[in-house]
Amino acid sequence: MANFETLLKKFTKLSPKELVQLDKACGWSLNAAELTAAQACFRRIRREPVRGELETIAQTWSEHCKHKTFSGPVRFRSKGKTKRYKNLFKETIVKATKALNKPWCLSVFKDNAGIVEFGKNKKWGLAFKVETHNHPCAVEPYGGAETGVGGVIRDILGVGLGAKPVLNTDNFCFGRLASKMKLPPRALPPERVFRGVVEGVRDYGNRMGIPTASGGIYFDDGYLLNPLVYVGCAGLIPVNKIDKKVRPGDLIVSIGGRTGRDGIHGATFSSANINSETSPGAVQIGHAINEKKTLDVLMKARDLNLYDAVTDCGAGGFSSAVGELGAETGARVRLENARLKDSALEPWEIWVSESQERMILAVPPGRLPALEDILNAENCEYCVLGEFTCDARLLVTFNNETVADLGMAFLHEGAPNHEKEAVFTPSAARRPAKKNNRPHLRTLKELLAHPNICSRHSVITQYDYEVQGGTVIKPLQGRSGDGPGDAVVIWPHSVTGDLNDFAGFAAAHGFNPPVGRIDPYQMALYSVDEAVRNLLCVGAEVSKAAILDNFCAASPKNPEVMGGLALAAEGCHDAAMAYGAPFISGKDSFYNQSKDAAGRQYPIPLSLLISALAPVEDIRKAVTINFKEAGNPVYLAGISRKGLGGSVYEEIAGTGDNLISAVLMKEAVRLYAAVLKAMKRGFVAAAHDVSQGGLAVTLSEMAFSGELGAKLYAGGAAAEKELSETELLFGESPSRLVMEVVKEKEQEFLKLVKGLPIRKLGFVRLEPVLDIQLGDKRLLREDINILKGLWKRELL
Amino acid sequence: MLIEVWTKEKHSAGEEAGLISRLAHAGLPVKAVRLSRLYKIEAPFPKNDFARIAAELLTDKITERYSLSVRPGLKKLYRVEVWLKNSVTDVVGESVKEAIHDVLGKAPDNTRFGRGYYVACGCESRLKRAVSTVLVNEIVNVYGVTRGKAKG
Repeated sequence: MANFETLLKKFTKLSPKELVQLDKACGWSLNAAELTAAQACFRRIRREPVRGELETIAQTWSEHCKHKTFSGPVRFRSKGKTKRYKNLFKETIVKATKALNKPWCLSVFKDNAGIVEFGKNKKWGLAFKVETHNHPCAVEPYGGAETGVGGVIRDILGVGLGAKPVLNTDNFCFGRLASKMKLPPRALPPERVFRGVVEGVRDYGNRMGIPTASGGIYFDDGYLLNPLVYVGCAGLIPVNKIDKKVRPGDLIVSIGGRTGRDGIHGATFSSANINSETSPGAVQIGHAINEKKTLDVLMKARDLNLYDAVTDCGAGGFSSAVGELGAETGARVRLENARLKDSALEPWEIWVSESQERMILAVPPGRLPALEDILNAENCEYCVLGEFTCDARLLVTFNNETVADLGMAFLHEGAPNHEKEAVFTPSAARRPAKKNNRPHLRTLKELLAHPNICSRHSVITQYDYEVQGGTVIKPLQGRSGDGPGDAVVIWPHSVTGDLNDFAGFAAAHGFNPPVGRIDPYQMALYSVDEAVRNLLCVGAEVSKAAILDNFCAASPKNPEVMGGLALAAEGCHDAAMAYGAPFISGKDSFYNQSKDAAGRQYPIPLSLLISALAPVEDIRKAVTINFKEAGNPVYLAGISRKGLGGSVYEEIAGTGDNLISAVLMKEAVRLYAAVLKAMKRGFVAAAHDVSQGGLAVTLSEMAFSGELGAKLYAGGAAAEKELSETELLFGESPSRLVMEVVKEKEQEFLKLVKGLPIRKLGFVRLEPVLDIQLGDKRLLREDINILKGLWKRELL
Repeated sequence: MLIEVWTKEKHSAGEEAGLISRLAHAGLPVKAVRLSRLYKIEAPFPKNDFARIAAELLTDKITERYSLSVRPGLKKLYRVEVWLKNSVTDVVGESVKEAIHDVLGKAPDNTRFGRGYYVACGCESRLKRAVSTVLVNEIVNVYGVTRGKAKG
């Protein structure tokens, strides 16, 4: 086989087989059509490419940068019908946002993060972005998680002219810690991945001084070889700093970390399956202190109008960042000016290196001295790489050597995209008629100790979620500060500087891969409903909820994976329309599959994380989950429905039930609006959503977090006919929440919610016992301290 | 010069219990462990400069002790040293290098940060298996196991 240098010299004459050889040797992850398109481009201009040009094309056309699967054409077939999409993303997610056309959406789908209006005086925007960093975390969990956090923070620094981060979020999926599955060589055990990821998120967030306060952890053996690490960041930006525009003549200034060999081919790495040949070069190392210096410089320089545009150096490094900023102008880059960690770097390596903590600014030449003063004062390294031009070309050199000379139009619009096949075969719903005789109390105890329900305090307490002093409703709630919160509420006074304005925002998530295994469309609905309901539980204005989608899936070459994706995307559209919640940003990650120890492909389940934000008019009125006062009545809002499909109960009992009750979105919206009114009027003392583990788990958590018992009559719940005791106690049908109502306000509350499925279950009491009856039959009775002891197990 | 820093025994029960639990999870039951932080500092400094770095910069006098050689009194235990490979950026090492410059007014040539674990167990091969399962990632780490004296 010819070596890659020989192949490169005759690139325009290579056969398709040789093109594939070259791609493999260079680690680009381009497919045959993309290689042919690149070859055709150089045939047209009648010259052979240099390596830097093909590297630039590979980065720009990578799955990570281009999202070619989600934004490409799809042919979907199910139940004998066919539907074609020209651009799946635009025809589902973006379509809903456009149709909703909310005036409070200030910037969506065009920058590094979505921005919505924040606060009463309309001076501020709230930016939010959630990223995944799955492949790097599978290889090196600590470094992968650190750089994931660093990357999403830079997205917030690089949105508009720069937002100030006020919240980090983290959601993880790992294989079960007790899994007995034999792992292939080089695969890390789930405990090792879990610990490394948590430590990486902790160290980066804590060192940056940003509270890590909202998230979740989900265990399933589908993630044994491919963990999912979703990291998010929210920040505040003045509305007059949202627009940015590069001007020809602006200098290209790189600030922050130096460029090294670390992380080369990280972007193209995201377009490939992980295998035993995965290069350690794809590992990235984070340096939070350098990023903190960069943050401090940016905020000062932004307020002094010292630059016209900014973006982060993420996947693809300089090649993507400069290419993106200069897409409409052109750019001239001199790589000999870059500050390097290692002088032995090849020019093309400097160009595509994904060394962390670097931001690219477009600086008018006259403002450079003032920027330099700030950079020097903050001890932040920088270099002037070149300038933006007006010739719509990307010209990159190292001394006199050409590294890339490409037309911007080809780079950004030349990627071919072929129609992907998508199929879905629904499975028949099964609901076993046989009565289950498991004792309810034993089931409740097993559920509370289940890894997907038990306390996350050993993880959460590693994060500094109090830094900046604005975490009003915390991730851990209750009298002892150790109960499970539904959402956090942030009061960003450290940015606004206004201690008399009590406007804040809530952040929450929805995530339901077990439902996705049965019905991907309903999974999307469940996830949006759960995220919105979590926001509601703290008293956030859910009619102004903004949501983000993060899809993770296995190889899109599998039509069934694409079928699930298409259905879930349709679900996202329909849910966004029904809840009036526009998508403001999102990201996708594919090829989350690896070969197991037997050499078989081992894909993850389709996974959709919905992250949501909503304003909280007055943070002093926000609500927490724990019972507050003995004597207060307890109400269940929403109808309990049949089916245990996708529930944690079904996982431990294994009855073969795969029936899931559909989300009734119109009814849910009406219900939530009334509940929010009740909260605003001060009728509700506590609220908690019914989700994993069902009603019995929700009531247990409210009781032991409040250190108060409750006497409850489950027969009072609004429920479908023929609902079993098990479904009532442990079913996870959507759109339900439990509320503790202030006793003195109960009559006003009932007047307000008249006609809605909100029913009294019982009341809070001093005796520390959870007692649930159905008619005369006692379903379960237990000391809340025993229940709490089971729930509060150490995960780490 | 290798500087080793460890938590005084009256404060170290929590971190030791955590390590015992992790090793047990990897199939290695052990009775006693000790943990240290390791700083490898390459510099032509006199010994009292290293002592100053250890005492003033790297050690919390209230809860920790240090040694300018391998930690004494643990010769009967296996000693595991875990370092980042030289090709991997060592962020803690870099920060320590800058801090040494701030303290002494002169920077060392190189500083690397690592971790030391002392484990009382009967079988070196089982220890190695457990270490490679829960304490290192061989893509970025190198490690060594010795008994009675320090490696290198």
